[in-house]
Amino acid sequence: MGNYLTVTAAQDAAAGTDNEGAQIPHKTIISGAEALMKSLLAENVDTIFGYPGGAIMPTYDALYDYQDRINHILVRHEQGASHAAEGYARASGRTGVCLVTSGPGATNLVTGIADAIIDCTPMVCIVGQVKSTLLGTDAFQETDVMGVTMPICKWNYQITHPDEVPEIIAKAFFIAGSGKPGPVVIDFTRDAQVAMMTAPFAYKKCEKMLSYRPRLVPKKEQVEKAAELINNAKRPYILFGHGVLISQAQEELKAFVEKTGIPCASTLLGLSAMDVNHPLYVGWLGMHGNYGTNILTDHADVIIAIGMRFDDRVTGDSTKYITQAKIVHIEIDPSEVEKIKKTEAPVIGDAKESLLALMPLVNANNHSVWRNEFRKYESEEHQKVTLRDLDGIGELKMAEVITRLSDKTNGEGCIVADVGQHQMVAARYYRFKNPHSYIASGGLGTMGFALPAAFGAKVGAPHRDVYAVIGDGCFQMTLQELGTIAQNKTPVKIIILNNNFLGMVRQWQQLFFEKRYSFVELQNPNFVMIAKGFGIDGHTCKTREELEESLDKLIDFDGPYLLEVMVEKETNIFPMVPSGASVSEIRLD
Amino acid sequence: MTNYTICVFTENTIGLLNKITIIFTRRRINIESLTVCETERKGVSRFTIVIKHEKRDEVEKIVRQIRRIVEVLAVFGYLDDEIVYNETALFKISTPMDAKPLDVEFINRHHKAWVTYWGLDYVVIEKAGSEKEIYDFFNYIKPQGILEFVRSGRIAVGRTPQGLVAYLPDADWEFNL
Ligand SMILES: Cc1ncc(C[n+]2csc(CCOP(=O)(O)OP(=O)(O)O)c2C)c(N)n1
Ligand SMILES: [Mg+2]
Repeated sequence: MGNYLTVTAAQDAAAGTDNEGAQIPHKTIISGAEALMKSLLAENVDTIFGYPGGAIMPTYDALYDYQDRINHILVRHEQGASHAAEGYARASGRTGVCLVTSGPGATNLVTGIADAIIDCTPMVCIVGQVKSTLLGTDAFQETDVMGVTMPICKWNYQITHPDEVPEIIAKAFFIAGSGKPGPVVIDFTRDAQVAMMTAPFAYKKCEKMLSYRPRLVPKKEQVEKAAELINNAKRPYILFGHGVLISQAQEELKAFVEKTGIPCASTLLGLSAMDVNHPLYVGWLGMHGNYGTNILTDHADVIIAIGMRFDDRVTGDSTKYITQAKIVHIEIDPSEVEKIKKTEAPVIGDAKESLLALMPLVNANNHSVWRNEFRKYESEEHQKVTLRDLDGIGELKMAEVITRLSDKTNGEGCIVADVGQHQMVAARYYRFKNPHSYIASGGLGTMGFALPAAFGAKVGAPHRDVYAVIGDGCFQMTLQELGTIAQNKTPVKIIILNNNFLGMVRQWQQLFFEKRYSFVELQNPNFVMIAKGFGIDGHTCKTREELEESLDKLIDFDGPYLLEVMVEKETNIFPMVPSGASVSEIRLD
Repeated sequence: MTNYTICVFTENTIGLLNKITIIFTRRRINIESLTVCETERKGVSRFTIVIKHEKRDEVEKIVRQIRRIVEVLAVFGYLDDEIVYNETALFKISTPMDAKPLDVEFINRHHKAWVTYWGLDYVVIEKAGSEKEIYDFFNYIKPQGILEFVRSGRIAVGRTPQGLVAYLPDADWEFNL
């Protein structure tokens, strides 16, 4: 994992361990809690998203003396901390850090941990725990955090002695950020925070572990076999995913498609790894992805999957998905290969290293006839879907809002979407120019992700303009984080696309449950008044005529801003692959 | 249904058993037997897990999923003919009276089972072997009246000339000697 930032706050300030001792010369033996602070500094941590409480208080006390070097952000709910850390990580490429108390503090993190494991987001969660002598006694605020988080984290560990701190924190950051990134949970007992280390603090970064050694550079034989398949293909097709962004392989991907002339499509989380205006980029995949990109997976003869995992939202019925083509799968996690699809040529390695290794072995090509097949479907989709979404008749539609936002921001914004129809519209209509510009909860589909994640993204990438695109339902899941945004004066731009419905569920009920609308209509609060209550300015846009001015106001406002846009209540998102159908059954209406 | 014996080599840390069994429960696979011990290498544990499954490729996926756990050093999945394996069973029976004497010689010679304890009121016989051999002996001894019967999980070594050394990552391993 690299660092995506060109501008990094406070990173250089974290100078490691040597001159730390110089500042506090009288203390050579420190507590576990202070050892944690020094360890975080040694890992160049500049930001922590957290919330204090009983079992983590000794650590918060140590933090008091480190406020000048570590920016602790007090969230309003631990779930907010977890999504903020995810947003921070995905916008910056660095590991997000959460600090919370035991029991309810820890369980409130669980949704974010589950979200981070499935979307491969590097995160280190430090969780207070009761004194080690009380473990297993149902002590106040004792939850078996190891047990609860075991199935949903990449690694977890319980620290019960202060001497363990430097080594375990070093491992935590190494595991979270390397290979296929993911969340690590450190359960830190209160006594280990309070007790003094038995030796002076010393920190050594973890660079390898016996039992965990992700392969970065692929094996030569695998690369050669893949190259041969690619060179002999008549209708090759690249499907790329989040792995390209995680390994920072966007330039290599571009060079690869330009040399080979192979059309490429993105998964939802791969969005923005390729400039959407690139002639070899044909669109995105999956349930609400583009028309031709889905259908033509059935016509390709070689599929080159890069940093993607054949999620069922991409494959539809996986037994009917890619039955004719041979698959080359570039993937860092060996357990993903052949998990869903039989694979002719696995290439186990980092996306960037693998593409670099393949590059000299693949022939320059053009594939123009094959590429033109995508164009046919594109024009049909444009006629049937895009023109309808953007017809400008009747009530204002979500698609118009995102299209205008995209135009006005020149496709250069960082879009953090929540979950539902608005998420799909944001993915479809924003014209992404730069990498790391679409951040959403893909694998878990966590409603409430966007507001805290957008905040975290802005903290992690302060030079970017961050737009949170949120549904009226989602917003009410984590709206308390407006308080965090206000307190930190973080200029996040919030757009609520208000259709007064849990729109995505309503769409399914309309299409697949005979329009039996079962608990999907919302009586919404006054969102602007709520924002104002938190000290965040905003207004509501009710008509098409107000849209231009409203977006300008949002974009130009100096500080956080909330724009609520009233949109058509019963819009449906197309194209759509009905759940459980094969991708060739994709519908345009 | 085919038997698969999965051997997992791990670092010896708390909670690892959980991390491994979660993978089976999540896929609704019943574990037939599970045995854990430290190996000839200090700090390296060996799990021997037996499952029954219809599809080889599903078992291969499980093997890869287990490999993914951070503390796991190596994983192997074997069919029965790829390993030498054994189990041990203990039988507790009432000390035979004159009416039902115990043919210890026959037990030793024919069943390869040994009396490990002979007391005034009960006797413990140990029988090692395959599942089938153990159940053959079970049926043989049943008329004596079995007070308690316990069978261990399977332990197995691969039918290859290599030792573990060939598979574990390079390191300065300490040996348990
Ligand atoms: C925490 C959680 N609960 C429930 C769902 C199921 N769900 C998916 S989309 C959706 C509706 C979202 O409504 P809204 O935020 O208004 O977005 P819209 O679809 O209307 O744009 C629901 C309930 C979910 N994904 N996450
Ligand atoms: Mg809605």
